[in-house]
Amino acid sequence: MKIKTMTIGLATASLSFSSLANATTVEYWTVQTQSDRIQTIEIMADVFEALNPGIDVKIIAVDENDMPQQIAAAAASNTLPNMIEVGSDLSLAFAEEGIVDTTATSEIIKQLGKDRFYKGALKLVENPALNEYVAVPYSGWVQGIWYRADWFKEAGLAPPTTWEAIDKAAKYFYKPKQNQYGILIGTKADAYAEQCYTQFALSNDAGQFNKDGELIFNSKAQKEVLDFYKSLSQYNPPGPQSWRARDYYLQGKLAMFFYSSYILDDIALAEAAASSLSSENFKDLEGATFDPDLAKNTRLATTITKSSPSSFGTLVGLSVMKNDDKAEVEATKAFIEYMNEKDQVVAYSHMAVGGHLPMLRDIAETDDFLNDPKGIFAQYGKESIKEIVAGFDSIKNFSVVDGKTFPKSGEIFAKQIIPRMIYRATIEDEDTQASLDWAEKQMQAVLAE
Amino acid sequence: MTPLEAAEAKFGWKLVAPTILILSLLILYPLMYNVYLSFFDVQLSGFKTFVGFDNYIKLLSNADYYAAIGTTSLYLLGTVTGTTLLGLAMALLLREPFKGRGLVNAAIMLPYVAPVISVVFGWQFLFDPISGVVNYLFVDVFSIWSERTNLIGDPDSALWIVVIFDIWKHAPIAYLLILSKLVSVSKDQYEAAAIDGYGPIGRFFHVTLPELYFVLATVVLLRLIWNLNRFEDVYLLAPNVETLPIFTYYQAFTGVIDQGLAAATSVIQLGVLSVFIWFYIKKIMKW
Repeated sequence: MKIKTMTIGLATASLSFSSLANATTVEYWTVQTQSDRIQTIEIMADVFEALNPGIDVKIIAVDENDMPQQIAAAAASNTLPNMIEVGSDLSLAFAEEGIVDTTATSEIIKQLGKDRFYKGALKLVENPALNEYVAVPYSGWVQGIWYRADWFKEAGLAPPTTWEAIDKAAKYFYKPKQNQYGILIGTKADAYAEQCYTQFALSNDAGQFNKDGELIFNSKAQKEVLDFYKSLSQYNPPGPQSWRARDYYLQGKLAMFFYSSYILDDIALAEAAASSLSSENFKDLEGATFDPDLAKNTRLATTITKSSPSSFGTLVGLSVMKNDDKAEVEATKAFIEYMNEKDQVVAYSHMAVGGHLPMLRDIAETDDFLNDPKGIFAQYGKESIKEIVAGFDSIKNFSVVDGKTFPKSGEIFAKQIIPRMIYRATIEDEDTQASLDWAEKQMQAVLAE
Repeated sequence: MTPLEAAEAKFGWKLVAPTILILSLLILYPLMYNVYLSFFDVQLSGFKTFVGFDNYIKLLSNADYYAAIGTTSLYLLGTVTGTTLLGLAMALLLREPFKGRGLVNAAIMLPYVAPVISVVFGWQFLFDPISGVVNYLFVDVFSIWSERTNLIGDPDSALWIVVIFDIWKHAPIAYLLILSKLVSVSKDQYEAAAIDGYGPIGRFFHVTLPELYFVLATVVLLRLIWNLNRFEDVYLLAPNVETLPIFTYYQAFTGVIDQGLAAATSVIQLGVLSVFIWFYIKKIMKW
């Protein structure tokens, strides 16, 4: 419906404003690389262009993992885009490098109304020293342990919300002879491993920094976390593991795995799951067909508790980049404000149901958002979706401690120190203390810069 | 120098001037700029701070750097020996014309011409521990292995898989180079050697090998240069095999780019490679 309205708007508008000379260009780098998502964003941009003659929005899709390199190259050649859409950690790192226009970005937040955002989300993009924001929170996801509720029930096991329960269940379901595994946690040196690990670390109050900004990573609590993580990893499928968790789970090989709310639709819809399955090529392989009962039999545990409950998620924000051209900055601000109007936020959220939860509370609680076109939210219940989104009020990650943000944490993330530490401890079987010492040394090097 | 000679020399310089200019712009300038950058801490905003030899000290005091050198040496040894020997063996076996040789040649060249990304994914799916066909065959069907393994992921086997992958992918070019020389070796020499009483093995060592000396040396040299800098095959297939290019990538190009450190790494690598190649060309190939 929304898309249709937009298309009509676009059609009428494009007749009159199709070829404007000397247009101000807003170059927008997005991490949405799938063609259907880019199309949706293009439509939103087209409508904006129609409403704002003289502004041209140019959308460029950049792979999430390539973003730091691409931005570095662009900064070096003085061809930075006007705005970028990246995770909050990267926004903080870029702001540290002095290439984000934090003033313009903060003005947009003020204009939209600070109170409309989830509190935790704003905290994740704040530079407290300057009382400025490095990005406008736009969408986010939360992570948790997805598990086979039917298997758990049959085995009489408690849901995996505490360390003990997770350990017990992982051990119970680990049956490598039958090609079935207890759990999948990230052990390959990439972002997935850090995401899994962080939630355990925060559930044991093992942070990177204390509130005075001192590095306290290498602590007793942290060692407990890494020891537990390492012992849990023995119930993983063999070798370093990562995002393929989704495929293995859909094939029925896993009892538990970490994933974000992005996967809501994969579990519920056969066509979304198809790419993980391979029934046409390997008819003989077990677990190669879609399990229509999987959504019903799957539950999400968003909170893990050891010494304190922790939920983990990531948010993507829109940042205005430094630019001397005033007209371009104004146009960029106007575009970001437009993107935060209800129709656009809802359309953007529905591109990836569960993966793009809105950061504006008043929009997240409307039926427009909760009635996604494929009815996926309905399968899980509107109240539980609202609950999941509200997690952003108290979302935690390593870069925020007691309301203070430590932008250096973004650089530590970008340097993949924790993923490589996990890899050393779990796959190379290094002593956990040695891995922690190594990570601490790497972090100190980042801080010294 | 007579005035005529001087004029000729001047004219000569004029003729090569465009080449020198273009080469300076394309090679010398980036090279020198790279050396210059290696003494700075470079911010993305373009701001530079002179840090002297800090970048070099940081690099050389990193234990992982030496581990990467060790891995690279093993990788080079395995891949260069492997491709050269396999290329030589294939060339010797297929030197005589036979029916269908064109087809066989095409099949041999296939791994070399196929895009690296597609063959890497192919290998990853083959070796996948849960749904890969290798584990399926070895564990479920033939029961040769008692448990499923992740050969590409396991750090103990990953390096060897990467080496085998490289040999598989690059032996064809060695084969092609060696074969092109082999078919031009005159029959007379073999006949003369046979008359002198050499059997097949003697003929190989006294005729074939000396004839192939330069082409083999070229293959080895090229493979060394390529593989010392090879990034994509290794990173895509098994990023946990930290050869020097992968190490450099993690050090300098993950997250916010540390251009100074990256420059220092590449300056050292260039220096080592240059000395190595100079030695090789002068002493081994005797050019």
